[in-house]
Amino acid sequence: MIELTSTPMIIVAILGTIGVLIPVISVARKEHGSSSFYGAIALGALFASIGYVIYQIAANNIAPAAIFTEDVLADDTFGSLFAIAMLIVAIFTTVGSFNYMRKKSHPAVYFSLILLSTIGMVLIAYSTDLVMLFVAWELMSIPTYVLAGFMKKDPSSNEAALKYFLFGALSSAIIIYGISIAYGLTGSTNIGDVIQTFATIDSEMLPLALLAIAMFVAGFGFKMGLVPFHMWLPDTYEGAPPTISALLAAGTKKAGFAAALRVIVMGSIALSLDWTFALGVIAVMTMTVGNIAAIMQKNLARVLAYSSIGHAGYILIGLAIAPYTAIGIQGSLFHILNHAVMKGAAFIAVAGIVTTLASSHLDKIKGLGRSMPITSLGLVISLLALAGVPPLNGFWSKLILFGAALDAGAVAPWTPWLAIAGVLNSALSLAYYGWIIRKMYFEGETEKRVREPASVVAVMIFSIIFIVGIGVYPDPIIQFVETAVPSLAVTP
Amino acid sequence: MSNELIDFFIVSIALLGIGIYGLAVKRNAIRMLFAIEIIINAANLNLVAFARFLSHSGGQTLALFSIAIAAAEVAVGLALIIVAYRMYKNVDIAEFRSLKG
Repeated sequence: MIELTSTPMIIVAILGTIGVLIPVISVARKEHGSSSFYGAIALGALFASIGYVIYQIAANNIAPAAIFTEDVLADDTFGSLFAIAMLIVAIFTTVGSFNYMRKKSHPAVYFSLILLSTIGMVLIAYSTDLVMLFVAWELMSIPTYVLAGFMKKDPSSNEAALKYFLFGALSSAIIIYGISIAYGLTGSTNIGDVIQTFATIDSEMLPLALLAIAMFVAGFGFKMGLVPFHMWLPDTYEGAPPTISALLAAGTKKAGFAAALRVIVMGSIALSLDWTFALGVIAVMTMTVGNIAAIMQKNLARVLAYSSIGHAGYILIGLAIAPYTAIGIQGSLFHILNHAVMKGAAFIAVAGIVTTLASSHLDKIKGLGRSMPITSLGLVISLLALAGVPPLNGFWSKLILFGAALDAGAVAPWTPWLAIAGVLNSALSLAYYGWIIRKMYFEGETEKRVREPASVVAVMIFSIIFIVGIGVYPDPIIQFVETAVPSLAVTP
Repeated sequence: MSNELIDFFIVSIALLGIGIYGLAVKRNAIRMLFAIEIIINAANLNLVAFARFLSHSGGQTLALFSIAIAAAEVAVGLALIIVAYRMYKNVDIAEFRSLKG
């Protein structure tokens, strides 16, 4: 049994209680409309949770990264890394929503749904049982369907939510089908048991095991935005409220990678197949399609959506080379943490721009560097970090990822091509990020400075400190990420 | 009539095929929702059949979870479809074109 004081249980208790209490408070209070009040409660709960996660890590109360446990939840460093990333994203979303949700209806439900979705994301990272994984996956997904369509008078939010819902529901249907096959083959839903049985499976049953893994790739791939499954993603990220796009791009996508690391990578290693090449091909396709499509976009939110498809490709490099070198997973985990902050900050900046200018079209952001200097600076720093410019954190994680791909070339001769594709794509992405920066600083008339939303400024300042701080002094985070890499040895 | 595991599995694969066909061909949001439900129920059938033949109750537990979750999902999905219908007077997702790039 998992202990009641372990990290996931405490997070469920804090966020679950507050998440259910917020709507109750809003019904009990007669007055309506003060979104900051509910936001502050939600923010307190999130800070308490992230504080507890960090306290548990500092006090050495968590297990080393493990894939195999008897329990449904593992209180390990792997889960804690993801929990920190997702709680940071949830804090960004909540703080960024203070100004965005002002004078909008139902703020209590909005903040409550963010908390409930966060529980799902955190539980996915900790779960070591397919039943737990599926329930957590749905707990994460269902609130985000509602949140994406939260502006129900707005046709684009509505359309975004409906597309997101149809593809999201399809992805969970495919995942439950994959789980049913894995259960039928192995007689267990514990991920460790499933993988150990897969390692010694009959050759007659191998096609079914492959079908199960392929269904996991497709099901998780929809949320991760891998290329054959990405078509819903730009529409949803553009149409949804930009604060929720931050939650989707930086949060739910990372939860997909957590699930993929727990299930797909281990499953494909256990089946001792050359799955890595297929994953490598998907990685190159994903980054290339994402970055090339991003060049042609006219809307800032859509550019960021395609760039997040591209980043899913970079992260997938680490998964593809996992059997050859442990540094690959390390690079993936580091990039997941960095990307959560960079992309979260970029989408919150878009939310600030939409709040003041009512649009995120690229023609509207001309001269933004003078009218909204702090938001612009935050956006520029996060864009440069996304491109992987040296003194920033994105550079280090890309360096580790591409370096690992080059190293793995000693075992598998095709992996250096992943690094080459990654470097070329980073250069390509710098081109369109540079285009946006040029529009913001060197085009348009000199406009007067406008009042920037205070909550967005707070997120920008935190993310600038994080991005530059990790970029200048990455050692402590790299050491922590090293401890979060699970051991990949399968003992049949 | 035989009562083998493979019979249940064939029905389940057939349901999966029907669901995927429905998603690929239909553009009506409610029909697509039904197709997804058919896939989920194919998985439930699998889970219950495997649990019966493995003499292991875990699969039936998961099937119960899955039915409850699917109900929650449909509730949210139908709500979204109703809101879309009020706005567009239509539930054909090919007609929703406010977003493109």
